[in-house]
Amino acid sequence: MLADALEHLVRGIVDHPDDVQVSARSLRRGELLEVRVHPEDLGRVIGRSGRTARALRTVVNAMSPDGSVRVDVVDVDRR
Amino acid sequence: MTESSAPTEQNDVSVTRRLEEEGEIAADYLEELLDIADLDGDIDIDVDHGRAAVEIVAEAGSERALRRLVGTEGEVLDAVQELTRLAVQTKTGERSRLMLDIAGYRAARRAELTEVAKKAVAEVRSSGEAVALEPMNPFERKVVHDVVAESGLVSDSDGVEPARHVVIKPA
Repeated sequence: MLADALEHLVRGIVDHPDDVQVSARSLRRGELLEVRVHPEDLGRVIGRSGRTARALRTVVNAMSPDGSVRVDVVDVDRR
Repeated sequence: MTESSAPTEQNDVSVTRRLEEEGEIAADYLEELLDIADLDGDIDIDVDHGRAAVEIVAEAGSERALRRLVGTEGEVLDAVQELTRLAVQTKTGERSRLMLDIAGYRAARRAELTEVAKKAVAEVRSSGEAVALEPMNPFERKVVHDVVAESGLVSDSDGVEPARHVVIKPA
């Protein structure tokens, strides 16, 4: 549910919604959601001084039923 | 965002239509979020003081669940609002100043802050000295500035986020 919510939130704010991918990984200290976007959309998703990325984290964590979730934004070229 | 000339009637109509369109884009974005999160809520769209105003209204029994999207001090609501504005901007190509409320949080906060501002105005009037209020977010400061302006006194914002606060001064 969280990954779907994050994918929806990001798809709505980019120019290349079909390039948005969210993958979930379990880390020792909780869940990590990795958002991949088109390189041209990277700035938009991070925002000025990281403002948009912070808003995404705030909303996803508020929706998380158990514990904290890490949200990382990376561009599709990075592996 | 000040307008130098009085808007013509036709301009008014097109501005209202643009703001309604903002509200509709926002409603679509938020409705799908509610669906994914399995949260119940109706979405109201309005135009208020030259801005699109969108509210997620709680249905019977859904208020507590919607509170999660508000946060303890409205910080989640501000984040949802920010993302919603960006979603609108992505579709229209123009910046949006849309206001979002969830489960009546801003409405209640506005009433509370109006009281705080009125008390401070009375204090400035009787003492003749400036009064500095607690730090507030942009929405909260706007509520206070409006009350002060209406009372005929002057106010400024001082300090840097998150300590930015309103100072009310004698006229």
